[in-house]
Amino acid sequence: MESRRLREFTDAVLRWLAGIIVCAIFLLPLIWVLSISFKPPEEWIAYPPRLIPEKITTSNYVVLFQPGNPVGGVGAMVSAAEPVTRAFINSIIVVPIATAASLVIGFLAAYATTRFQAGGKSLPLFVLTTRMFPPVAFAVPLLVYFRALGLIDTQLALILMYTGFTIAFSLWMTRGFIEGVPKSIEEAAILDGASRWRVLFTITLPLVKGGLAATGLFVFILNWTEFLLAQIFTSRQAITIPVQVSHYVGAVGRFYGPMAALGVVASIPVVVAGYIIQRHLVTGFTFGLVRE
Amino acid sequence: MANPEASIIRLEGLRKEFDGVLAVQGLDLRVREGEFLCFLGPSGCGKTTTLRMIAGLETPTAGEIYLREKKITRLPPQERNVGFMFQNYALFWHMSVFDNLAFGLRVRRTAPGQIDRRVREVADMLELAQVLDVRAAKLDLSAMQRVAMARTLAVDPDVLLLDEPLNNFRPGLRERMRGELKRWQHQLGRTMVYVTHDQEEAMTLGDRILVMNEGRSEQLGAPRYIYEHPANLFVAGFIGRPAMNFLEVEFKREGEAGLLQRDGLRLRLPRDLTAALESLPSSRLVLGLRPQHLRIAENGTAREGGVFRAVVDLVLPLARKQVVDLKLGDELIKMVLPADRPLLVDDAVSVAIDADRIHLFDRDTGRAIR
Amino acid sequence: MASSGHPLADTSEGRASFLSRLRRAVDEERFFGTLLITPMQLLLWFLLIIPTIIVIYLSLVAWEPRMGVDWWQAPFAFLRNYAQIFQDGRFWAAIGRSLGVVVAAGGLEFAVGLGLALLFMRDFPGKRIVTSVILYPMMLPWVVVGLAFYLLFLDRGPVNFVLTQWFGSGATVEWFKNPLLAMGTIVLADIWQWTPFLFLILYSGLGALPKDPVEAAMNLGANRWQIFRHVTLPMLKPVILIALVIRALEAFKIFDLVFVMTGGGPGTSTETISLYIYRVGFVFGQLSYAAAMAVLILVMITLVTRFAIQPIEEG
Repeated sequence: MESRRLREFTDAVLRWLAGIIVCAIFLLPLIWVLSISFKPPEEWIAYPPRLIPEKITTSNYVVLFQPGNPVGGVGAMVSAAEPVTRAFINSIIVVPIATAASLVIGFLAAYATTRFQAGGKSLPLFVLTTRMFPPVAFAVPLLVYFRALGLIDTQLALILMYTGFTIAFSLWMTRGFIEGVPKSIEEAAILDGASRWRVLFTITLPLVKGGLAATGLFVFILNWTEFLLAQIFTSRQAITIPVQVSHYVGAVGRFYGPMAALGVVASIPVVVAGYIIQRHLVTGFTFGLVRE
Repeated sequence: MANPEASIIRLEGLRKEFDGVLAVQGLDLRVREGEFLCFLGPSGCGKTTTLRMIAGLETPTAGEIYLREKKITRLPPQERNVGFMFQNYALFWHMSVFDNLAFGLRVRRTAPGQIDRRVREVADMLELAQVLDVRAAKLDLSAMQRVAMARTLAVDPDVLLLDEPLNNFRPGLRERMRGELKRWQHQLGRTMVYVTHDQEEAMTLGDRILVMNEGRSEQLGAPRYIYEHPANLFVAGFIGRPAMNFLEVEFKREGEAGLLQRDGLRLRLPRDLTAALESLPSSRLVLGLRPQHLRIAENGTAREGGVFRAVVDLVLPLARKQVVDLKLGDELIKMVLPADRPLLVDDAVSVAIDADRIHLFDRDTGRAIR
Repeated sequence: MASSGHPLADTSEGRASFLSRLRRAVDEERFFGTLLITPMQLLLWFLLIIPTIIVIYLSLVAWEPRMGVDWWQAPFAFLRNYAQIFQDGRFWAAIGRSLGVVVAAGGLEFAVGLGLALLFMRDFPGKRIVTSVILYPMMLPWVVVGLAFYLLFLDRGPVNFVLTQWFGSGATVEWFKNPLLAMGTIVLADIWQWTPFLFLILYSGLGALPKDPVEAAMNLGANRWQIFRHVTLPMLKPVILIALVIRALEAFKIFDLVFVMTGGGPGTSTETISLYIYRVGFVFGQLSYAAAMAVLILVMITLVTRFAIQPIEEG
């Protein structure tokens, strides 16, 4: 009789141990990056490597925004890298605008496709094809005609593409939320004499507000982390943070401290956004096909 | 039927707590071999929890469960050989009917030939032979119920536990399936424990009924007996429709005879009852009157019993009878009358109480005195 | 008997206006719906349909930006670009690598994710914290994940340090100089970042399953493994399929990790198909050859998803 209790107890302990190991595995890479980002140059590849910096410094972060400021003894070389300020400004302009545009367009289309089957039954599925193929396949023709339109290395090019390539998520996630609003509520408003627009903006929109916010944050994460298109379509003026990160790894590959610091800074907004919408992450990554 | 004295399941001081809330508080019970026992009670009374503990789906906080006098309290459900029929049937909807029925046999590594034979046997019994290849999800409700029943039967369980299996049915079908269940039980001669909150269902199906309330057993007995001799106020009020009327009364002695008294009501008691009441410490009682046992008083009063005058407050006509609400002071009293007796609201009527058919309860303990 | 004064008889007028209002609403629907999807339609034309037409056209001409003519004036090459692909060993090797990532990363992510999900089905102290911790890799920018694993697997980095502690000083591994190991670290980074996705989707899928069939199976005598194999897994199948298809399509696109961690090297030994097309088109400037490869990829993926989506729709 007692053996079952014992088994349950060992079971719980084993799960708890497994939990700790899993935690460690998922945390260590980030902790290592954090650790390096606070290390002075002589510790970056000190051997044996230490998890806790001997001397904690914030100069790796400072140098990102003031490249003239020397980091330890190698400041002059780091200063050869561009300041990340421009990349930050670009990301801060491009990502929110594209996210908002994607969300508005996606919401309107989601409403029309769920409520009136506008555009035909297969339109929503067709939109999914924008996410099926490697973006590089679209980048080839887009480069050709963005060049003709003079859009290369502009924020507008990125805004257009980021809006377009996240529309599938905006559409599908909001469809799920709109389906949750009973049609009868809208019909009641219409019979009361409300116009379609009025119903959409004063009945439906407030009811799916929370869902839209989650969708918006999710799309924000996708846009903020996008690398390939930014890498192809920008060179100097319009580069974004992920591109800047890659520059640090490539161009000044040995300057691990600022590299790690930039990685940390680049991650903070999306990790914060991600935790706000924790509950909706699966819904997002599966286009709302799987709901939590 | 087997020896009625042999108990197949025995519960001993069974308790279950959920996060500090007591769902079942100290239940003792013997289930007889071959009987159809109903757990009856309002929702949240612990009847389903008890059933799930017998099946091994919940672990008791305290107390023991015996199956054929073998302690099974902490045995995992797999090792109990107790069949459980779920409220929503819990069919494996991704499997065919055949695979549903064969599941329990397959996990016991029964030989394929034998599985086939047994599945067809139970399928025949429950008229499922035609749908063996159909996916469970595609069946209608009545077939689903039969599959659920057949699936539990296929492994030949010692006891069948049924958790409100008729809940999802619309009323007409519900009565038909109730009949089916009763017939199966006769045919199979199997011990069944059946949970329901529907007293009519319990009355028609059960050989015995266990009335439960707030995790406790209130009364155990044959349906008729419980109806006629409710053990306490809860059972009296719970069993029977419309519910029993309760009036607070005082017991008094007046010469030879005993008297029950309150505003507007005097009830003379027969001698034996008077004697019984006199031996009680308290004279504060609750009088219980079944609506069916009240009559309109004709001329002349009975020597025992009593008559009270009341005003009609509401009349609810039914097909062959009517339910009448009467006002006696502040109390509402329901009575059931034949439909051919015309009554209008605000009519004053005299109502006769037959002293043989009254119920009496101790006002403090709620226990039945008679 | 039909007294006109009866209150219930007097609704004809109200009903007519009710119906006409309803009808007007239905007429409006088409116009309104079309209006609402127009922005998205425009976007789709601009970013999906026109580019597809252009990429097909490009794939049929011989054009490179350095030729000095505009692409619409370039001479036709017809199927020569496609013919070239079939002799291009580097293309097929890159396809093979991308598929390898799909199979290795996707398979391991599924296995580990499922294991974790089952482990987490029961409570244990600290479960909620662990669940939150597991989530964050999915949100990180790929390039940062690449950066993190690059730092971890440096020659004098912590991974090599741990290895030398365990196996002696000879155990230092040059991760990014060995083709197989370089690919392995990329796959490892991908597993680290995307196992949480499969874990989360399987965990919530398991949590959403009805409990009754499992309990019924228990009462019928099935043990844990039998219940998992015959009851839980089949019920979970639709969710598993969706998760695998989405993950496979994503893994096939793999670019950022490779770009940051190895740049496709050593040599071209970790070059995936996205990276190869990127190089041919945007580094070597052979845009019409890149276009032909892009078209071929579009066709292949369309065909594969056709077959992959069928069981989802049925399940």
